[in-house]
Amino acid sequence: MLWSEEHFVMREDVRLYVYRKRATAPVPGQAVLPVLFLVHGSTVSGRNTYDLHVPGSEDYSVMDHFAAKGYDVWTVDHEGYGRSSWSGRGNSDIRTGARDLASVIPFVLEKTGAQQVRMFGSSSGALRACLYTQAHPDKVERLGLSALVYTGAGSPTLEQRRKKLPEYSSSPRRKVDLAFYEGMFNRDKPGSSEATVPRAIADAELPLVSEVPTGTYVDMCANLPVASPEALPCPTLIIRGEFDGIAAEPDLLDFFARLPNKDKQFVALSGIAHNPMMGVQRHKFYHALESFLAMRF
Amino acid sequence: MNRIEWTGGTPHWTNKGEIRLFLWQKAASPKVPHAGTILFVHGSSMASQPTFDLSVPGRPNSSVMDWFAERGFDTWCMDNEGYGRSDKQRAINCDISNGADDLIAGSDYIRQVSGASRLLVYGISSGALKAALFAQRHPERVARLALDAFVWTGEGSPTLAERRKKLPDFLAKNRRPIDRAFVHSIFNRDHPGCADEATVEAFADAILTLDDSMPTGTYVDMCSKLPLVDPQKISAPTLIMRGEFDGIAALDDLLAFYRSLPSTNKQFSIMQGISHASFQQKNYLMVYHILHAFFAMPEPQYKG
Repeated sequence: MLWSEEHFVMREDVRLYVYRKRATAPVPGQAVLPVLFLVHGSTVSGRNTYDLHVPGSEDYSVMDHFAAKGYDVWTVDHEGYGRSSWSGRGNSDIRTGARDLASVIPFVLEKTGAQQVRMFGSSSGALRACLYTQAHPDKVERLGLSALVYTGAGSPTLEQRRKKLPEYSSSPRRKVDLAFYEGMFNRDKPGSSEATVPRAIADAELPLVSEVPTGTYVDMCANLPVASPEALPCPTLIIRGEFDGIAAEPDLLDFFARLPNKDKQFVALSGIAHNPMMGVQRHKFYHALESFLAMRF
Repeated sequence: MNRIEWTGGTPHWTNKGEIRLFLWQKAASPKVPHAGTILFVHGSSMASQPTFDLSVPGRPNSSVMDWFAERGFDTWCMDNEGYGRSDKQRAINCDISNGADDLIAGSDYIRQVSGASRLLVYGISSGALKAALFAQRHPERVARLALDAFVWTGEGSPTLAERRKKLPDFLAKNRRPIDRAFVHSIFNRDHPGCADEATVEAFADAILTLDDSMPTGTYVDMCSKLPLVDPQKISAPTLIMRGEFDGIAALDDLLAFYRSLPSTNKQFSIMQGISHASFQQKNYLMVYHILHAFFAMPEPQYKG
């Protein structure tokens, strides 16, 4: 049984829900564990993305997987998501998410005694993680990104999403329900995930929210690029799912080529669509991320 | 000069027509689950054992074959025709295509002896070109392909621009002499400091124990005949390993190759602090880690 705890961290008047898991409770004087901080995407909150439990299936919890491997694993629900509060101002866009991280990471470092975190983000969470790393390069030791998009050129998903841009731009929040979660998994490649996954997400999320912020959708449809690869100094991993429509491969290779650090990896994984940790091939995602995080010299 | 003797493995011999080819095996540890069968393919200026089974006092896990064998991999390497213990009598320059033919003969033998149907193939420098050509010709034999210090078209390569100045010399004869200074130049040409002196000296001892000259064919090919492989015909999951300081290829050349690979299981790793001969450099454990992660990636259950 893994150990966990919940916290709330304030960013101005916003209460941000922070969740932590590790193999055992911390003991004063004990060696500091490596910290892995997980950043969620546009639709599902942090805890329900990275600590998802699907009835009848195993290994969906990224937090459990890495906690069992010896990491001190953390995540946050960004403003307006999950258990965090909503200020009523703005639309919780990518820059706001990076500001959330700037409020939470110092708390994580203080609680753990670590000097830096290893950060992973998926989809718009990858973009939030990039922006945070750009602004706080001394705080991120290694950076893992999946379902990333850079300029958006050639992205089939964003081309579709852009049709609803006027709607997203006119409201700070959008409705979510089971049908929407099912669409997330079926839009790229039906069969690359189990049908029970969107149901599990709905069971976890819908008691908390019926709508989520529109800011990251607006950014990805209209404001790309938001991240500057040239400004990411740390070792970086890009995981690219074979069926992921959020970005075209040349767009990501362009991003990869611009990364200045000489410890960098681009990993294409077959059988995986937009949510690598929630697909039938999630063990391949675990393997790729774990290999990168544990790189030795 | 210290003459090197290799121990702890099993020598094997096979034939390519009239040509005898030497293979060296270090068997998988029986203490861990079997993880696969690796064939390591050497480059232009050294035989297989110096590259893949190098012992250096005070350098833990110096032999990449031993390191992988401890993790459950059955490990093999072979001397291409014209190198090391393999036959050298034919009046040819042992080019890359000839080396790929050697791999066909070697893989025939390994598959027969080990029972493995498909191999995990790693090649470095011109060995990467031989391995890629082999994978192109015999996709059914290659489970995964790792290409280290690879070059595709050669466009923008500083090392090849320099090497091309001597192309008339290489074309004029089938072999070129090598000595200790030449081995040092491999480590100094791109970025001095990537390898420690003791390792370079041990590597030179090992190379010069087996050879005082090398075939010119792979040099001629890399200076004047690239591209020799077609990425669109390589179906195996593929890893490109690129040393930060490696001058053998321009990054854009390798990214263009990567982009053209049809496999949806493919990886591109930049290796920090590495120039051209990764296993003999200070960051060798990082190189092992990257290669192991690729070879150990779980097989896909869902293929779309």
